[in-house]
Amino acid sequence: MSYVTLSGVSKFYGDVPAVKILDLEIQQGEFFSLLGPSGCGKSTTLRMLAGFVKPTSGDIIINNRDMTHLPPEHRNIGIVFQNYAIFPHLNVFENIAFGLRMRKTANDAIKQKVEAVLEQVGLSGYENRFQRELSGGQQQRVALARVLVIRPEILLLDEPLSALDKKMREEMKYWIKGIQQQTGITTVYVTHDQGEALTMSDRIAVMNEGAILQIGSPSEIYEVPKSRFVGEFIGESNTVTLPLGTEKDGYLGVRIGGVDLMARRAPETPENLGTGTILIRPENMILSDTAGQDATPVKGRIRSETYQGALIRYEIEVDEAVLVAEVHNTPELVTRQSGDDIWFGWHPDSGVILPD
Amino acid sequence: MERDIPIFLKIAAVLGFVYLLAPIFVVVLAGFNSSDFLSFPPDGFSLRWIKKFLSSDKYMTSFLFSFRLAFMTMVVATVLGTIAAIFLSRSAFRGKGLLRTFFLSPLVLPGVVVGLSLYAFYLSTGIGLVRTVWGLWIGHILYSTPYVIGTVGAALAVYDVSVEEAARSLGASPWKAFWKVTFPNISSGIQAGSIFAFIVSFGQFEVSLFLSAPNNEPLPIAMYNSLRYKFEPDAAAAGIFAITLVIASVLLTNRLVNLHKMAGGRLK
Ligand SMILES: Nc1ncnc2c1ncn2[C@@H]1O[C@H](COP(=O)(O)OP(=O)(O)O)[C@@H](O)[C@H]1O
Ligand SMILES: [Mg+2]
Repeated sequence: MSYVTLSGVSKFYGDVPAVKILDLEIQQGEFFSLLGPSGCGKSTTLRMLAGFVKPTSGDIIINNRDMTHLPPEHRNIGIVFQNYAIFPHLNVFENIAFGLRMRKTANDAIKQKVEAVLEQVGLSGYENRFQRELSGGQQQRVALARVLVIRPEILLLDEPLSALDKKMREEMKYWIKGIQQQTGITTVYVTHDQGEALTMSDRIAVMNEGAILQIGSPSEIYEVPKSRFVGEFIGESNTVTLPLGTEKDGYLGVRIGGVDLMARRAPETPENLGTGTILIRPENMILSDTAGQDATPVKGRIRSETYQGALIRYEIEVDEAVLVAEVHNTPELVTRQSGDDIWFGWHPDSGVILPD
Repeated sequence: MERDIPIFLKIAAVLGFVYLLAPIFVVVLAGFNSSDFLSFPPDGFSLRWIKKFLSSDKYMTSFLFSFRLAFMTMVVATVLGTIAAIFLSRSAFRGKGLLRTFFLSPLVLPGVVVGLSLYAFYLSTGIGLVRTVWGLWIGHILYSTPYVIGTVGAALAVYDVSVEEAARSLGASPWKAFWKVTFPNISSGIQAGSIFAFIVSFGQFEVSLFLSAPNNEPLPIAMYNSLRYKFEPDAAAAGIFAITLVIASVLLTNRLVNLHKMAGGRLK
């Protein structure tokens, strides 16, 4: 039995769907991300979980309790907003004590719990500060402490890093994940940043236009996207439409540069297609400067070489298509010129044929 | 803050202040004038008109009446205006813009129109409000409430609703979330609005002209009536007290909320 269940949940504003039909199961202790472009319905989903938005249809069950019609104050859910929503008129101590006071906790216990959670988030000694005296990162810690202290059944985070600068974002990413692992709290994390979702999540639901396209672990989502949208949204990818050849050992031939390269079919790709959309990640392109290698049977031509520090990026022309390849920048790497011949290939498992 | 303000702007600011403050200056001087008539420049300094005002039954009665009226108007306008502003900022229905314009219309309608309309309304419906204290009170409330809607609306515009949602999620009922979180964060706007409502009601003339009863004249009406018949400086003395009251209210507002901040629309 899953810990959080959304079944047939939708939200329409008038005739316009913000969330179409959502079926979702989240396990206890899981770090679950909703990932998708802006406007795809992530916040609406989160706000339905929190009780701020009434679903047009469907049921929301959390920890065996039907929450669908419960107001937010009866849900025992912790939510951290994008802008942290610190109470401006209360100091850090009272911000964190707020939920405990609503629960009529005794003063001694409040003091003890607030001190403990401040310690946990690394803000001991900040009790008397007000919001205007806190940096963005500190406000975020307060916002998190404020919900952790009430021991909510689930923790909801709506793009909590988007208001921070890049360096802070990197730091807080691991910090939040660490806190989640320490507390073991079931977490639903909303983000449009695939990097955040990949590093932090146990599982990811990729959303677009109010619907979930795919649910899976970060590696499943990244390595076996079921659709072109997921493949292109997560990480960088080459997607080209190519004629398909014959099937062999469970792999399907893809005709490129006059050669059949093998690739695997995504789970929902129908059989017997004449052409197919192939997804190949730039880092999975294998390159060689000489002909006749088994791993690199296709001949192409370098169109450009771009220095990126740790990686070197090439654009390779073959037939009508341009494929991007990235290789690690090592001392023995030779400089390639635009116009040079290049031979490439890929491992059959890294090429994915998408239903499209 | 005072860095590199061009000299012509400084001159313009000084001229502006002179223009705004000159009438007040004239009234104050006239109130302390020793001559028998309202005149400027004054003939000499004297407290005779101040004393006359303080000992005048008519003026003292209307001064106190205006004060009570403004206070009662303030109370009702603050409650109504705050509720209206919250409704306008929170509800999502389509005709909201229209409703806001309607609520704020007394700000732009000439007082004569508001006064005359209410007078005609009381008269034609025969609900017994013509030239009564109640009718006058309603008129003042109608005229003052938009100021509260304006200031509370401004406070709500910079107030982030997710702060209230955070309170809800932490276990506060809608009622508690409002009083413990939203109210403290918009209270400066409410206080400013209520003081504006007081000042507007205290200085109201046109609406009062149509609605006040002869035995219950607000101060501006009493001053006007007295000046119609004799040109005596005790009206200026009354003006001094009115100005003092208004200045005191503004200073009080400034202590409660930073008027700078409201005027400058500072966000953070
Ligand atoms: N209160 C609302 N009224 C009307 N439309 C809304 C409302 N809230 C959200 N929407 C619409 O629903 C869609 C999904 O919004 P949201 O869940 O905020 O997306 P995300 O968080 O993924 O960016 C958007 O098209 C948005 O405009
Ligand atoms: Mg959002």
